[in-house]
Amino acid sequence: MSLKDILSPFYAWKRTLEKPYTIKKPIEEREGADRYRGFHVNDIEKCIGCGTCEEICQNEAIDMVPVDFIHTKKGDSGLRPQIDYGRCCWCALCVDVCPTGSLGMSNDYIWVTPDPEEWVFKPGVDEKEWKDDDKGYRRTDEAWLLDPKLTPMPVMEPEVRKNTFDEMAYGYEVIMATEEASRCLECGICIDACPTHMDIPEYIKAIRENRLEDGLKILYDTNPFSESCGRVCTAHCQDVCALGHNGDPIAIRWLKRYITDQTADRRNEILGIGKPLPEKDGTVGIIGGGPAGLTAAFYLRNYGYKVTVYEQHDKLGGMLRYGIPQYRLPKEILDREIQTILDTGVEVQYNVKVGKDISLRELKDKHDALFISVGAQIGTQMPIEGIDTPGVLVGLEFLDQIAEGKRPNLGERVMVVGGGNTAMDVCRSSVRLGAKEVFVFYRRTEAEMPANDEEIEEAKEEGVKFEFLTAPTKITKEGDKLKVQCIRMQLGEPDATGRRRPIPIEGSEFTVEVDTVIMAIGQKVDSSMAEQADVKATRWGTFEVDPDTLQTNVHGIFAGGDCELGPDDAIHAIADGKKAAYFIDKYISKQGKNHAETK
Amino acid sequence: MEEILKRLDERFYVREKKQQRPNLLFVTVDKKVAVEAVTYLRDYEGFRHLVMISAVDYIEQNLFQLTYLLHNYQLHSDIGVRVFIDREHPVMDSIHHLWAAAQVYQREIKEMFGIDFPGSPRVDEPMILEGWDNIPPMRKDFDTKKYAEETYFPREGRFTLDPIKQMEKKNYPLEAEVKYEIKRVVRDNRDKK
Amino acid sequence: MKSKELSETIAIKNKSEESWPAIQTDLDPWQPVWAQQKEFDLNSGKYVKIWHGPQHPGVTGNMSVELTLEGDVIVEAKTHVGYLHRGFEKLMERRKYIQCFPIVCRICVPEPDTNEYLLAAGIEELAGIEIPERAAWIRTLVLEMVRAASLTMGLGGQAGAFGLVPIGQWGVAHRDYILDLFEELTGGRVYHMYIIPGGVRQDFPEGFEEHVKFVMNKLEKLISDIEKVMFNNAVFKARAKGLGYIPPEWIEPYGITGTTARAAGVPIDVRKDNPYLIYDQLDFHKILGSASDVYERTTLRKEEILNSIRLIRQILERIPDGPVRAKLPNVLHWKIPAGETYVRAESGRGEMGYYMVSDGSEYPRRVHVRGASYTHAMAVLERLAVGNSIADMAGLMPSLQTCPPEIER
Repeated sequence: MSLKDILSPFYAWKRTLEKPYTIKKPIEEREGADRYRGFHVNDIEKCIGCGTCEEICQNEAIDMVPVDFIHTKKGDSGLRPQIDYGRCCWCALCVDVCPTGSLGMSNDYIWVTPDPEEWVFKPGVDEKEWKDDDKGYRRTDEAWLLDPKLTPMPVMEPEVRKNTFDEMAYGYEVIMATEEASRCLECGICIDACPTHMDIPEYIKAIRENRLEDGLKILYDTNPFSESCGRVCTAHCQDVCALGHNGDPIAIRWLKRYITDQTADRRNEILGIGKPLPEKDGTVGIIGGGPAGLTAAFYLRNYGYKVTVYEQHDKLGGMLRYGIPQYRLPKEILDREIQTILDTGVEVQYNVKVGKDISLRELKDKHDALFISVGAQIGTQMPIEGIDTPGVLVGLEFLDQIAEGKRPNLGERVMVVGGGNTAMDVCRSSVRLGAKEVFVFYRRTEAEMPANDEEIEEAKEEGVKFEFLTAPTKITKEGDKLKVQCIRMQLGEPDATGRRRPIPIEGSEFTVEVDTVIMAIGQKVDSSMAEQADVKATRWGTFEVDPDTLQTNVHGIFAGGDCELGPDDAIHAIADGKKAAYFIDKYISKQGKNHAETK
Repeated sequence: MEEILKRLDERFYVREKKQQRPNLLFVTVDKKVAVEAVTYLRDYEGFRHLVMISAVDYIEQNLFQLTYLLHNYQLHSDIGVRVFIDREHPVMDSIHHLWAAAQVYQREIKEMFGIDFPGSPRVDEPMILEGWDNIPPMRKDFDTKKYAEETYFPREGRFTLDPIKQMEKKNYPLEAEVKYEIKRVVRDNRDKK
Repeated sequence: MKSKELSETIAIKNKSEESWPAIQTDLDPWQPVWAQQKEFDLNSGKYVKIWHGPQHPGVTGNMSVELTLEGDVIVEAKTHVGYLHRGFEKLMERRKYIQCFPIVCRICVPEPDTNEYLLAAGIEELAGIEIPERAAWIRTLVLEMVRAASLTMGLGGQAGAFGLVPIGQWGVAHRDYILDLFEELTGGRVYHMYIIPGGVRQDFPEGFEEHVKFVMNKLEKLISDIEKVMFNNAVFKARAKGLGYIPPEWIEPYGITGTTARAAGVPIDVRKDNPYLIYDQLDFHKILGSASDVYERTTLRKEEILNSIRLIRQILERIPDGPVRAKLPNVLHWKIPAGETYVRAESGRGEMGYYMVSDGSEYPRRVHVRGASYTHAMAVLERLAVGNSIADMAGLMPSLQTCPPEIER
């Protein structure tokens, strides 16, 4: 022990002159760091109530609860997270996982309240002083726990596929499908958007766990056209996918295709098709063997009714066969899928056009119930001069020819008019038929095009050129060539459908010289058979039904699909077919039949 | 490490081995020779640091796994000696005479898994869970959530809704009815023998 | 031998050995004699039993020591834990891997990041994930920062136990400066939840490096003050020197690691022996002592803080650019291949390790946490206390870096 050891500690006095470390009371507000994880904030406009935060919360602190002024709508469950701060540990996993990026944390430091109930609140909904803070912990792209990147589908190179009608997408391999399936959050926001409400998270989970047989069963619970839908569905589910808000949505369609592709050779065995079905008293006639009709047939057979399908062509499939070209949906695929439906014991009468070969009333008397699903088979014509000039084709008829194996010569320059999926099918088929230059003329802009973005993108890859805000006004023939006079448009006020109405610009006319013009501007319904049984039709030619039950004004006659909805996609038709099956069963049961159900 | 493994195998018969890292080896030996093997590793192979003793519950196979993790300060390597013991009669020879630290681990395992180490000091005294009257809590058949729900009370008034069900209820009640009915019919037919 | 102070202490140690009784043979840990329990006749009036704790100055968390005293000399000590058991190991078994990550930091209050790192390292090893280089550097920085923070508070605790209260306040205040840095970097002050499997959550915020350098200078200055006020303090020297002598022969049987082992001259340091992250690229040495008493251990901890400051400066100078996160599979249903592993790291208190068993499901089969002070605080303390005065108990416990939260998990 030295004297130094005694004196040295007095050095501590030096620090008495320092500024104190502590903060005076009342506490001066000290702002938290920019990344401070304080109480939650939620941008309730951005939030879609998917519940992923609830799922990841390791403390079960988050509940999804309804909020008065937020309504459940497509792509939004209307629920919002409510956080119990008695359980929250401020780990911000909920923030890092949030698919929309709506959830965050404020950097507020101090909040004291004596009321324990106040510690449970809905961020962004309940008034708190930090509600609109923009500082605090936010999810960066780097910290995002989800994978925003789509597993790309292997497709034919544009240069190769331009010359062939072979299917252009090869389908996922095992690793790709598992990887894509594992991106799914299983929030189920997609189920609502799907017209037939398929159990999407369930079958994606089945892929992830490599239970493809279960996956196939789940598909057929709601959709007997899963294989076709796996290729050509308009995928409303992907439009609302939670991941799509900040990345690529899950490729739900391709995953569906993966299940059906992998299980195709054992499909009937897995689904138990061919096993005896229950027998119910009653017969149902189905007019039109398209997706709506065959879906109804499949489920009605499962109910146990005898089903007869009347088909005007010599093959079934409707628009799936005649409206969608081979390169998107190969006919072999469609055939094997329809065969599965027929294997349940559906009777089909081909080449029967109801209304002409047999009247609706006769059918009505023959069956206990009828389901009309004739689709929208007539292509619309534009009311312009020279529309019947040779060389001006109608989109649907053109696709019809191709489906039957014909390969018409279109010449070198082809003009396609329209902006829907049919227009895309037409222009891309034209490319495959050898047309050197294909133009698509559309009277609005790309943003308003009803066709799927993917289709538009692929068409561009194949060399299709687009002319927006342009419409033809007159077609004349000069020698071999067609001269099409066009006019430029501009967008005006939104119309009834919510899209902005195109208005012609005076004096902007110009002329284009082409070999062929194909009009793909719309379809309409042939409802001429309706009057044979006093069935009401609307002024647009569609069948008028009770939207809940799909029953027409005549008891026992139901209608669904495009002929009731107007031109729409396959999945809506399938949804209608399913619904019709349910209500037809209700109807026949109510008629007093089938009290003694045989098993 | 390979030579050590070879020598160990010759003496005690290594049932299973897994080279997890170049400097981390897991070996499984029989219960009868486990303490001998551990002693051998300590006294002849220089694994003089007992890192930890741990137990794993394999309830499906009705087994407990005990892991003795030993570290060699010269080789900077570890050997994990694994022993499987019967879950119905969980008794293991104590190694408290080899390492002073072992008694604490053994006390904890006795308490948390119910594996007995006869002769280990204070092994029967409660260590962490004084007054515990349930099955040893680290066993897989002890359900913490159930225990918490029975012992404590949840905050009142909390409820949560499933987004899927909520959308079904609000957006498409009729279609949901159709969907479930059709699903039932299809599944009945499919699952029928 | 690292510093001038150390050589001084050795000289003193040699002196003190004369007065220190020779090692009692019945305490030789290789002989199982020590395991026998003594019986004390409490009715004889010679002994008194008191309950020491569960609150102690300088110890984060609660534990009790049941002391049997003869006069004011301890003749028997029994440790009692159980005040803090939260069952994290069990809780992890019913949480998905990503959900485990926010709870492990709570295993140790002063040094949460070591737990985060070890859990992440274990998962990464089992799942075969490589982390980006910058992430490894940031992790090292975080580990060194938290080591400095924990040891600074520990120094204060040690001083406080001997009545040098201002140093306790300085220590806590300077830890808070480091916590400010953590708040800036991670968004949390005490529990950072920053080292996530696959890397770290976010990169440095703007100006962070400068703030770190500023705080490190401040801390360095504090240490030089503490040297004057604490290590050259007659009171501290008188009480700490010679107290709680741990012979080097005890290190292996008791599984003592970290500064406690190095103070006895046993050169073990996980950072050097089994380098993890980027420790093999950094320039530092094992810091060794020899006297192995409370004074020596405290001195070593002070040296460790200075070492951490040097390492942090090195890291800031050499940290490479790049991404800080590797891509993880979807964490909501992340399955990890079956297997088991043990990962270790040098925490401020010694070797900390995670033994993880996966059975291929979404949930870990077993996570065993080897707390660094597990054996020190339980088995060693019971032996060490015997023969000391009750007044020294308070100084003894922080010198072993007792951390009850990691004993009980």
